[in-house]
This record gives sequence, C-alpha cells and structure tokens, in this order.
Amino acid sequence: MSRRDLIILVVLIAFAIAFPYMGVPRYLLTSALVMFCFATVVTQWNLVFGVAGIFSLGQLAIFAIGAYTTAVMGRYLDMNVWYTFPIAGLAGVGLSLLVGLATLRMKGVYVALLTIAIAQMMFVLIQTDTACSELNRIINPQTCISFTGGSQGLGDFGSFGWREVLGGRDAVRGDYYTMLGLLVVGVLVSFFIINSRIGLGFKALRDNPELAASRGISQFKYQLIVFGVSAFLTAVAGSFYAAKFKAVGPGILGFDLLLLLIAMLVVGGLGRAWGPLLGALVITIFREGVDNIMTEGLQWRDVIFGGIVAAVMIFMPEGLTGTLDRLWNYILIKLGFAKARSSTVTAVAQDKKAND
Amino acid sequence: MIPITRKKLSKKQKFEQELEANGGLKGTTRRGFMTTAGAVAIGAVGVAGANTLQAINNGAKAAGDPIPLGAMLPFTGWGGADAKNFEIGIGMAVEEINSWGGINGRPIELHIEDTKNMSAEDVTKAAQRLIDRFGVHAIINGYNSPSVRAEYDTISDAGIPYIHDNTQYGHQFAVRDNPDKYWNIFQDDPSEYYYGPGLLYFLDSLEKSGRWKRPNNKIALFSGSIDYATTIAGGIRDYMDQFGWEFSIDDVVSQPVNDWGPSLVRVREDPPALIATTHGVPSDQTGIVTGFAEAPTNSLLYVQYALQLRSFLDIVKESGEGVFCSTTIGTLKDEMGSAFGKRVFEKYGEGATPEVVGQVYDSVYTWAIAAARAGGTGEPYDGVEQNKKVCHFLREQIYRGVVGTIKFMWGQAATPYPAETNDPSLGMPTLMMQCQKWQDPVQYVSPDLYATQDWMNPPWMKG
Repeated sequence: MSRRDLIILVVLIAFAIAFPYMGVPRYLLTSALVMFCFATVVTQWNLVFGVAGIFSLGQLAIFAIGAYTTAVMGRYLDMNVWYTFPIAGLAGVGLSLLVGLATLRMKGVYVALLTIAIAQMMFVLIQTDTACSELNRIINPQTCISFTGGSQGLGDFGSFGWREVLGGRDAVRGDYYTMLGLLVVGVLVSFFIINSRIGLGFKALRDNPELAASRGISQFKYQLIVFGVSAFLTAVAGSFYAAKFKAVGPGILGFDLLLLLIAMLVVGGLGRAWGPLLGALVITIFREGVDNIMTEGLQWRDVIFGGIVAAVMIFMPEGLTGTLDRLWNYILIKLGFAKARSSTVTAVAQDKKAND
Repeated sequence: MIPITRKKLSKKQKFEQELEANGGLKGTTRRGFMTTAGAVAIGAVGVAGANTLQAINNGAKAAGDPIPLGAMLPFTGWGGADAKNFEIGIGMAVEEINSWGGINGRPIELHIEDTKNMSAEDVTKAAQRLIDRFGVHAIINGYNSPSVRAEYDTISDAGIPYIHDNTQYGHQFAVRDNPDKYWNIFQDDPSEYYYGPGLLYFLDSLEKSGRWKRPNNKIALFSGSIDYATTIAGGIRDYMDQFGWEFSIDDVVSQPVNDWGPSLVRVREDPPALIATTHGVPSDQTGIVTGFAEAPTNSLLYVQYALQLRSFLDIVKESGEGVFCSTTIGTLKDEMGSAFGKRVFEKYGEGATPEVVGQVYDSVYTWAIAAARAGGTGEPYDGVEQNKKVCHFLREQIYRGVVGTIKFMWGQAATPYPAETNDPSLGMPTLMMQCQKWQDPVQYVSPDLYATQDWMNPPWMKG
C-alpha cells in the first residue's frame, strides 16, 4: 500500500467513524451500513474478477451461503450469530473452491455461464424447498416452514445483539460500526493481496497466462487461492447482512442484486484497489439521492440508473478510479511534479508503480 | 337477483348493478344491523367512522401542525398493482379525515416509501426512512409479507403504531410471544390460517340450510408447499373433526404443479365430498379446474385465491362455473361497501379496485379514531407513552368499516367471522365467492348477510 493510499484510507476510516455523530438521520446509517456490506463483497469480488481476470459471477452464491449458514445455525441450533460468522466464512470458502475447481479449464464467458448457473441453481433449490421441516415443527408446531424457508425466507434466528446493549434507538449505530469493521478488514485484505506476490501472480495470469505459466506460476494453485481468499469475507458479509436484517430469502440471489454489485465494480473501476469502494459509495449516494428526490415516476429510477452505468462504461472504460488517476497524473504533470507519459496508462502499469 | 346479461359491463356498472341488487342506498334490513354494529363506528352510509371523528373533533377544522403518517408500498415490485390501490385507499381516507377535522384538529400528512420487491432490506430501510426522515407517528400499509417481519424491530424501537395486511399467522405468534416488544404492531386482517376453518363453517352453513348435502365425509386436500398454503391446510386439519370430516387425500404438492393427472386419478378412485386446494398459484390451478371438468366427480371444488382473477376465469371458462374460493378481507358489497366502491370509481376511475382499496382505507380510519380518542398521536421514540394510549384504544375498540368489523383478538390480528366469533358485528367476514357465470365477476355467496347471490350447486353435481 502506497503512502497516498494509506492516507486516504485513514481519512476515510476517520470520516466513517465520525459519520454517525454528524447529526445524520438513522436511515442514512442504514443505507451506509448496507453500502459497507456490499462494498466488502465487491472488494473481494474484484480480486477474482478484476485482479485475477476470472469472469466469475458466482460471488452472489457465496454471499447467500454465508447468509443462509447464519440463518440456519441461528434458528435450528440456537447459536449466537457471532459464532456463526467464521463457520459461514468457511462454508463460503468450501463452495468457492468447488466453483474454482469446476472452472479451472474454462475461460471468459464460459466461466460466467457456469458460475451464474450455480447461483441460479441455488435460487431454484431454495425456491422449491417446500417440504415441511420437522426442525421448524419443534419451534412452532402450528406452522409449516421448510428447512431454508423456501420462497418466503427464514427469520427468527437472532441478530448482532446491539439492541440489548445500546437500546433500540442506537442499535443501528452498533450495526453500522460492525459493518464498517468488516469493510475495513475487507479493504486491508484486498490491498494486501493486490500488492503482494500472490496479487502479482493473479495479474500475470490475467494479462498473459502463457508467459505466467512459463515462469512457474501455477494456474491451479493461484485460481484456488483467489477463489478461497475472496470467498471468506464475501460469505461473512452475507452472514452480517442476515444478522442485520434478521431475515434471509432467495431474493438475495436475484438479478437485481447481481446487477447492482456489477455496477459498483464497473463504475468504480475493475481491477483497481479503490475501484469497488468508490463504485459502492457513488452508487449508494446516487440511489439515495434519487430516492429522496423522486416521488413520482419511480419506475424510471432503474432506467436512469442503467443509463448512468452505461454512460460510465462508454465514456470512462477504466471506471471512476481510472479517470481520477488520469486527472491526478495530469495535475501532477501540469504542476511539474511528474513527467508526461503515455495517455494510455494501464492498470498494470499503475499497480507496478505503486509496488515500486 | 342480478340480471344475467352478455353485454360487457364496465367495473363501475357491475358495482352499481350489484348495489341495486342489494337494495341500493334506499335502506334495507341490513341497515338495522349496520347501525348497531360497532361501539365506535356510528356509520354514516359509505363514510364509516366519519361521524365518530366529527364528534370527537367537535367542529374543529384540520389546521395545526400536520401529523405525519407513513405507508410502505411495493410500487416497483411484483405487488405494484396492489400498491397503487393501497395508495388510493390510504390517500382517500386521509383526505376524508382531514375534511372532518383531522385528528383533534390536526391534519394528517401522508408520506410514502417504495418497498420494491418487499425484501427484508427494502422494507426495513423504508420503515427507517419514514421514521427518521419524516418522523411519522404511525405506519399503515397493505402487505409486505416477503420481508418476514424484518421491519418489526425498527418500528417497535420507534414506538409508533404499525398496521398492516400481511395475512400471516406468524404475526400472531410473534406478538403473542413478545407482547412487550410488539405492543404497537397490528394486523388488520385475519391470518391465512382462517381460510381453513372459514371453509368448513361455510360448508356447515350450506348443509344446515339444505342447500347442499354431503355425499360422504371425505375431503381430498391438496396443499401448496409454501408456508401460506400449508398454514391454511393446517386450519382445515384443526377444525375438521368438529364438523365430522376426514381426509381421503392429504397431500402437499410441490410448486409448480404442471400435471394434476395423478392427483385427479386418485380423486376419481375414491370421490370425496370436497376437493380443496390451498395451493394459491393461479397458473397451477388452471390445471386442476380444467382437468377436473373433464370427468367431474360428485364433489365440490374449492381453490385458493385464483378464482378472483379475471385472467383465470378467461382461461378456465365454463370449467370454472360452480368452483368457489374465499378471502379473509375484501370490501363488502353491502350498502357501505357498494357506496364506497361507487365513490372510488367516481374519484379514481375504473383503474381502481375497490375490493383492495377498502382494506387500507379502513386501517387509516381505525388508527385515526383511536388516536383522536387517545387525545393525539406521539412522535417516534419520544412519543412512546402517547402511542401506547393510541394502541390501547386500537386494541379495545370495535370499528365497522367497508371491509366489515375490525376487532383485534390475540396476537393483535383482526378477528375472523365466523371462525373466531359467531357474531358478525364483532368479526371480519371470511367471504366465500363462487363463479356462477365465467363471463361475470365472482359472486359473494357467504356469509348470507353480505352475499350478492345465492349459492349455486355446481352444474356437474348430481341432484
């Protein structure tokens, strides 16, 4: 991590810590903590998709595994949700390694097709899970709920417990800081990997797999590492999401959320350490802004959103971070702090500079 | 009787026709019932609760600081059509209440949030926004059932009344088991469970009035596989002994059901008196209705929900004639309900559906009257004590509206009539509906007090 990145990170964390005490309404804290959760997912997804260049769309399945692990263990084993988080993370790693193995010999769109098929298979399995579960009969003999809750979802499995500690009015602050903690860990892990030898291996396999293989970089080993590492925190994010909202349903495997997360990645800038975080932030602010302004014609909200994402993809193919990087370099050159260089600054070159 | 005509009538004309069939607004024997129905509602025809509010307001004009009221409606999700009707119902009630002086002279100001596809996240965020951004003193809406009650804690923390139509037995248990936590959360329609006993009570009334005679004591039950359907099946199961029924078939079918053939073969091998499906997916139910019609047995056929949809009747056509279904909440087609329906059409055109609009319209009146009796509303967090008074009156009052009587019972859910009370002035009627001519809307055939047509024995039945 460069000094510049470190300063930005510290400033952002300090701002995020102070945010709840700036007189912001609680609903903005809820929006912010959801943003933290999704930002954690996309920072991890970025490792697979952006840094390692594996076109996997299976991150949502891992997120869902984490959420359902917490729901099921909390509900049926009466386990405190805090204890379920590491288990959920390991469940996510298990699933992700299977996906990684299954896609080892695939490239590009075929990886996308297989991984999205896995997520959809999970969706269908949950949606059609209809047999009355005897475990639920123990909880309440008068109702019949399937093991996963089927299409209606599963609830009553506990929460972070901040309500009991901080009281109802301030419980959201506890949830907020919990999610912030997760995101900070996620960002640090992401930076560490991107700037480590493993990260260089991912990028080498992404940019020139044949050359990377000739230099002894094993695709088998590195692909499994990236799938495993990125899955742990993604699944924990799913687990946190379930604990925050105290309910989980097959909707979290839906295309709405998938497209939202992809938009965060693309708008922020694929393959860049700050990209997912910036994308998540900008999109959340945009959605909140639209929700506050638009009282009529709500059906146009998603159309506008789609249009903006399309515009970013066309006019800023390197995402917002890529554009900001260019702007930063331009300013440095104009101020005489740096020499002019090729206008096509690639992410690899920038990363190399950061590592140097 | 309603004259049968092949001429295509508008929704408004059909409503007026049914209104005429019920004696119009000229006054019938039902008026006697209605005017004595509620301890609270001193029902001006069609504007339930208005007189009560007017009396409490004592001529005050709605001036003062507005009272913010919130609604969470799924405009941009699959419930969008119902959301639009809920918006009309809540808006209409707010407008009327304000014209009667609001709540103790303070006008109500409505704020609405979109809950999209009603996920736990979307509904919780909507509730939090209404509370924090607008400081709403209550939240009233139709359903957000898929959230699995995720929003309860957020609203419970704020200590404001929350009245919804989620139709979930789970709500009753959540409130019953956590009365100190969910004292402010009400479900103003009976839970789905009561479809079960409602069906058996209806069959009993048919038998007692000699309109139908069971050929045997058997029920073939096909339950859908979601909690909604299995809970209804549980309701049938719990009450069947009381009415002398037994199962010939008791199956849970997995959704979707594309082929009802094997199930119908079993039905034909041992014909029951009643075939009941609690599987409320219209696309699946076309199969059992049309399949059964190919070789019907001497059995009644009950389907959950689908029969109320025009598109369903257009598919099953004659096969649907004689089939029946029910709803635990719907705008009645009596004097009050019909007049209400007419007002809805006049004000909002034929795009509105009075049967749905009425559900939340009554909810707003229920809350407004309770709030007026309590001396006002309380703001989130700081107004908990005042809101406790409002909820006290909500729990103890009996309100007669356009969907029948709202009286909360255990678990703070509306009492169903006849399953939980034998007094129609103390419960919300489980309305039984029958398709008699597939081109026409379904007819209310029970309870007798609210029927728009007599029960018709299905054309396929013997005798």
